[in-house]
Amino acid sequence: MRSKYRFLTLLGNLATYAILIGFAYIMLFPFIFMFSTSFKYQKDTFRYPPRLLPREQVTTVVAGYEGEKPLYYVSVGDEKKPYALVETNIKAGVYADPNRPEITYTVPISKVQPSGGAENQKSIIFNGKEEALWDVPIDGKTIPMVLTNQTAVGRFVDPEEPSREAFQNVRLSEPVEKLTIRPQNYKEVTELQGLDRSLSNTALVTILVMVGQLVTSVLGGYALARLRFPGREQIFLIYLGTIMIPFVVLVTPLYQLMVFIGWVDKLASLIIPWIFTAYGTFLMRQFFITIPKEIEEAALIDGASRLQILWTIFIPASVPALATLATFTFLYAWNSFFWPLVIINTGNRANHVLTLALSILRGRAADNANLVMAGAAIAILPPMIIYILAQRFFVESATSSGVKG
Amino acid sequence: MAKPEIDNRTHFLLRLAFVWHIALTIGLLGGIVPLWQAGKMAVWLRLLLTIVMLTGGLASTLAAIFIRRGEHRGRVISLVINYLGFLFCFLGTLHVLGVFLGIDALAETFPRGIPYLGGIFAGYLVSAFGDRYENFPKRQQAFRRAGKIIMGIFGLLFLLAIRTLPGLLALIKRYNSLPPYLLTAGAILFGVMVWVLWRKDSANALKANNAHEEMLNGLLFLSPNLLGFLLFFAAPLLLSFYFSFTNYDATTKVSDWVGLKNYISLLNLTIAPLSSPAQPATEVLNTKIYDELTRITLFGRGFIIGAQDKLFWIALRNTVVFCLLAVPLSVIPALLLANLLNSKLPGMKFFRAIYFLPSVAAVVGVALIWQWLYNAAVGYINYSIVSVINFINNIFGFAIADPQIRWLSDTRTALLAVVIMSAWQWIGFDTVLFLAGMQNISKEIYEAATVDGASKWAQFTKITIPLLAPTTFFVVTTAIINALQLFEQVYVLINTEPPGGPANSTISLVLYLYVKGFQRFQQGYASAVAWVLFVVIFSVTLLQYRRQRGGTYA
Repeated sequence: MRSKYRFLTLLGNLATYAILIGFAYIMLFPFIFMFSTSFKYQKDTFRYPPRLLPREQVTTVVAGYEGEKPLYYVSVGDEKKPYALVETNIKAGVYADPNRPEITYTVPISKVQPSGGAENQKSIIFNGKEEALWDVPIDGKTIPMVLTNQTAVGRFVDPEEPSREAFQNVRLSEPVEKLTIRPQNYKEVTELQGLDRSLSNTALVTILVMVGQLVTSVLGGYALARLRFPGREQIFLIYLGTIMIPFVVLVTPLYQLMVFIGWVDKLASLIIPWIFTAYGTFLMRQFFITIPKEIEEAALIDGASRLQILWTIFIPASVPALATLATFTFLYAWNSFFWPLVIINTGNRANHVLTLALSILRGRAADNANLVMAGAAIAILPPMIIYILAQRFFVESATSSGVKG
Repeated sequence: MAKPEIDNRTHFLLRLAFVWHIALTIGLLGGIVPLWQAGKMAVWLRLLLTIVMLTGGLASTLAAIFIRRGEHRGRVISLVINYLGFLFCFLGTLHVLGVFLGIDALAETFPRGIPYLGGIFAGYLVSAFGDRYENFPKRQQAFRRAGKIIMGIFGLLFLLAIRTLPGLLALIKRYNSLPPYLLTAGAILFGVMVWVLWRKDSANALKANNAHEEMLNGLLFLSPNLLGFLLFFAAPLLLSFYFSFTNYDATTKVSDWVGLKNYISLLNLTIAPLSSPAQPATEVLNTKIYDELTRITLFGRGFIIGAQDKLFWIALRNTVVFCLLAVPLSVIPALLLANLLNSKLPGMKFFRAIYFLPSVAAVVGVALIWQWLYNAAVGYINYSIVSVINFINNIFGFAIADPQIRWLSDTRTALLAVVIMSAWQWIGFDTVLFLAGMQNISKEIYEAATVDGASKWAQFTKITIPLLAPTTFFVVTTAIINALQLFEQVYVLINTEPPGGPANSTISLVLYLYVKGFQRFQQGYASAVAWVLFVVIFSVTLLQYRRQRGGTYA
């Protein structure tokens, strides 16, 4: 009985882990795809079926030929051997032995002679039609065959013995590949779209918004939590009521206000309006009211000013709340897209933030998945790193949004 | 109560304050006349300034009277006026000198300073490292001091690297016309007056007590936040409401009051009976006003529904469909995952961390990734579908054909593609909320249930779900509110011109607002769209507040 129960528990736990791992894979896969693609060659991104690990074609130097030549697998007899492609676009015919028409041979036209001479070419009735016969050299023997089709092939040679050659369709040949990474994608996309500037702009905007919002929220939160003045409760209720108002309601008049002040297309418009938030003030207020009053009163009697009390008592005691607000603000500022899209000119690259630059890059590098993914990685990696370092505060900022009201 | 001792200096300063307020009253009230004589200025701006000057003048008179009488109210009013005046002049100076626009120049030099920011952070780490030696105060002190010195040095280097000095010099050079001088002088004057009345002696002379000080401190501390909030939130909100009743066009700058016209044309629908299901719309609808929206059959008769603004209704429908699909698709898996994570098995924090990861990534970046996953030819999603189909075909001997879904360019799947991506990104966030809610449920209830022999599933449905109801409610309403604001996902993932393609199958309300307000610049109309959206979102929010007040969730 007991062992059966244990067995069922074990089975249940295994199932739990299986589901959790399955979901973890779904959650991680797009990011894995992003990083792997960001290190691929462009050609590799269009391969079907898709592969995660980036690969590149192996090249080699062949005696008697200039430069590096790409390697492909070529069927020689029953074996597949890596041969180097040395010449492309050779006119070739697809020939078949009239006695065994199911086997075809692709041979360059230049290697084939008319059977019985050009003046007097032999012919044969094949598939009910009269067809000319050609002398086709196969493995040292010459066999008369009929031409069934025309194509273009590449000439492949054995890199160790360049006189051994083979002809086959290049597009259908399987390339010899090795694992690789192409970090140049990051450099290229940075130069293509000025992502370095966008990155430093985003960092600047985020830092200033974070600092500004922390300062105004701490001051305002302290006033709302601890200092009595007429209208305090009403102001608090108004703040509370506006937290849920969506930004889109404000976007048109805020744009007009920016036009009036002259901040359209300026970084100031991405910073200044965002450092005064009801949410941050509310969050700090909620934390400050939990700090016991006695410490504060003792300090007041000792003649400390309110600012000193805030700085020496409240701020050290509320580091977790500050960190939570900071992470929340960081994510919001780093990832915001709608407002930059509206207020910053798409042509003014000097003032782009990452999200805006990426949305433009999407159109400019539509065929370069490797570049687009490198750009996405540049935007996603910083929050990811900070998240890994300060995970606790991210989770808390998510749950603290549920403590409203 | 003894009359407070007033020294000569305070006496003089209070006199000065009195004179200043008289002068300020005359200046403000007298300034209204030239304001209306001056040329070019928008009427609303004149009105606004008049109101401000009138209130300021009257308040200033009151301040003068009360200060003269030695009443504390005078000090409060005077401090408020002078503080606001100081802020106005100070920020005005900064504005005229171009400090705010200078952020753009700062962005130019900022990259050079970034390495030094790392140095400042290192200094912080050094000082934080000292906290390990809590039992050795001397060592702790040494670490803190070293950290401070490092931070100071790198801070200075940072300021040098971002060229603060040349920037400041450039600012000083802007003192080449009257406005900066005037505003600076104003800031100094107001600032001095603030100091005059803030002094302890002045406070005592005007019979200030602790409650007064607390009030002034409270107003002072809240002021940056409150003023910013009023300027960048409350004022635009009211302005937006006003705009929604005008035909404001940002390209022509025309702005006429049109009353409810925007709202009417947004919401105007008509219905007409059809004689045959295929009857052309031109025969039954006034096509000068209405476009055909859809055809329905009621009680065996065909009807046609026409809308004055067809695109709005399509956007509304898309948004609602998105909501109805994306919310369950993110909330239900999140609930199940949270239930699995809410156990004592090892590794749960690790899984929680992974599930939350998509929430920290920018929607724009995520949409770029999914755009390639959805690629019809080489994308992983179609590849997985084909692999699964081949597997089933091989095992069961079926011959299911490869559907070859063109996710982003097919009108039937484009919105679904947005739904799947959004749900994927939201699941982790919802899971974390659910998990927090579950961890608030007392363990004893589960223990009692286990003793009674309740199965895990019974515990989940009979205990967890009912007790989690407040959290569930919060998660669902938050998800709905987010879903109603669908914009970035469509804008980046689908990326058609005009946005919301193919054939308007993914246009959402916010996207429609964006097109109207910032591509066609019909901002009056866009404001009306915004307020319709606001009403929808607000009703959801109200529902949530009601529920929270009544419920146990705090």
